[in-house]
Amino acid sequence: MVASREIRDGDRVFVGTGLPLIAGYVAQRRHAPHAVLIFESGIIGASPRHLASGVGDFRLMTGSVMMSGLYYALSLLQRGRIDVGFLGGAQVDRYGNLNSTAIGDYRTPRVRLPGSGGANDIASLAERVVILMPHEPRRLVERVDYVTSPGFLRGGTAREEAGLVGGGPVRVITDLAVFSFDPLTRALRLDALYPGVSLREVRERAGFAVDVAGPAAEVPPPSEEDVALLRDLDPDGIYLGRDP
Amino acid sequence: MVDKRCTLAEAVSLVHDGASVTFSGFGHSLQPLAFCRELVRQGRRRLHLLTMGECWAADLLCGAGCVATVHLSCLLFEGYGRCQNFSRAVEEGTVAVEDYSHFAITSRFLAGALGVPFLPIRSLLGSDILTHWTLEPRKHVLMDSPFSGERVVLVPALQPDVAVIHASRADAEGNVQLVGPRSIIDEQARAARTVIATVEEVVDPAEIRRHPELTVVPGFLVEAVVEVPFGAHPTGMYRYYDYDEAHIAEYYAASRDPARFRAYLERYVYDLPDHWAYLDAIGLARLLALRADPHWGYVDPELRRAKEPEQGGS
Repeated sequence: MVASREIRDGDRVFVGTGLPLIAGYVAQRRHAPHAVLIFESGIIGASPRHLASGVGDFRLMTGSVMMSGLYYALSLLQRGRIDVGFLGGAQVDRYGNLNSTAIGDYRTPRVRLPGSGGANDIASLAERVVILMPHEPRRLVERVDYVTSPGFLRGGTAREEAGLVGGGPVRVITDLAVFSFDPLTRALRLDALYPGVSLREVRERAGFAVDVAGPAAEVPPPSEEDVALLRDLDPDGIYLGRDP
Repeated sequence: MVDKRCTLAEAVSLVHDGASVTFSGFGHSLQPLAFCRELVRQGRRRLHLLTMGECWAADLLCGAGCVATVHLSCLLFEGYGRCQNFSRAVEEGTVAVEDYSHFAITSRFLAGALGVPFLPIRSLLGSDILTHWTLEPRKHVLMDSPFSGERVVLVPALQPDVAVIHASRADAEGNVQLVGPRSIIDEQARAARTVIATVEEVVDPAEIRRHPELTVVPGFLVEAVVEVPFGAHPTGMYRYYDYDEAHIAEYYAASRDPARFRAYLERYVYDLPDHWAYLDAIGLARLLALRADPHWGYVDPELRRAKEPEQGGS
């Protein structure tokens, strides 16, 4: 639900599978009917009848307005046509850099991960990026082992100095809290807690010291209507589990 | 009339040890797995895979010990997780890798397809994709545009020895057609020196000419065509058949452990002489149940629930 609120009406949204897909559809149904959902596979404006398992899933062909290609979709990013993209990964650090490549040494990693895919492109080129991440100490780290997808790099003006044209991450949403980025240091800072979650828990389950800008707001719980909508989109709880 | 048809075994013999190969495919679709299984059967070694998202081809070939290096953007079994054989091979040091993003590696293929030495892109800046390289003598060059000064990354052209594409249909002249999402087949086919196409059906040239807009690779760019029904199994082909969830789960479970994967390879590759024996092993009932509904282009779950009798294990 929180992720869906990041989508403004009329936004061109780059959507990945799983939770971003659900967020996109929720946004369209609730407050952003003119949002355009664009998939990395090149499928644009899908109205699937059945839940897709991936961005290239045939189910996304249904009701789509255009079937372009992967290169077409990613070129839109580079041209500056994409307003918001959603990203995840194995690790995020305090400057919003993401790692989906390797844990440990790059050439002989402890854990080899899938790799960038479109993530680096989205992180580099989208107007704004929303990061979704489970709230665990091994995921919210001081410094990612490998910068697959750039956030604000080392903080401050590092991102601009690198020549990146996309605006970078604006939000990190975990299953405990919502964060934004300090406008000067570009470090993560806590905005809001979910109902029933304490600041202490947020700090204990993060691998870096959590900055707090001011008193944390509370994230409004989903309404009954919201819950019904989510169940309708994902009836078997494949992406949402039991607890949207 | 030129006739480019051959057997799968003959087509596979065009790929030599040490060749650089790219495969069609994205997620659980479009991957030339009958071809890959035959590559494994023929004992190919030291292949250099140039991949964007062909998780199946990469994982199967790494698991079978056929691979020396992998250029990749992302290798992931959607809905399951990272590729186990591929990851293990990298962690153990038996496969070396070079990482890119989707846009970067596709731009490399496109440069190869366009016949230019490089293309400029605006992603990768600031990331470790630029700071780490293993295989390329020169992975990239940073440049400020001579026209307007913006910082860009130049990526060099990629021209694989072989592109292996699985598509919907072709004629004997090698004109290859595809319905549905096409991943980066267009860039791969034009970049590669040799193109091999396996297709669900070989049709009359007149049929190809009724729908020229469906042609993805014209015959004059294709070396060999093989008719391989269910050639992407267990991945799917839009409008032909859906991906085989049960088999994918079986594969993924086996891929977590080398001994179990060896048993999987014995059962589905080494102990079977060819693709027809593989299809027999999967079973006619299962294959027919995967056929796409003409309206949806994949299996309609409501219809499946209504008509499928209780099936035992595979």
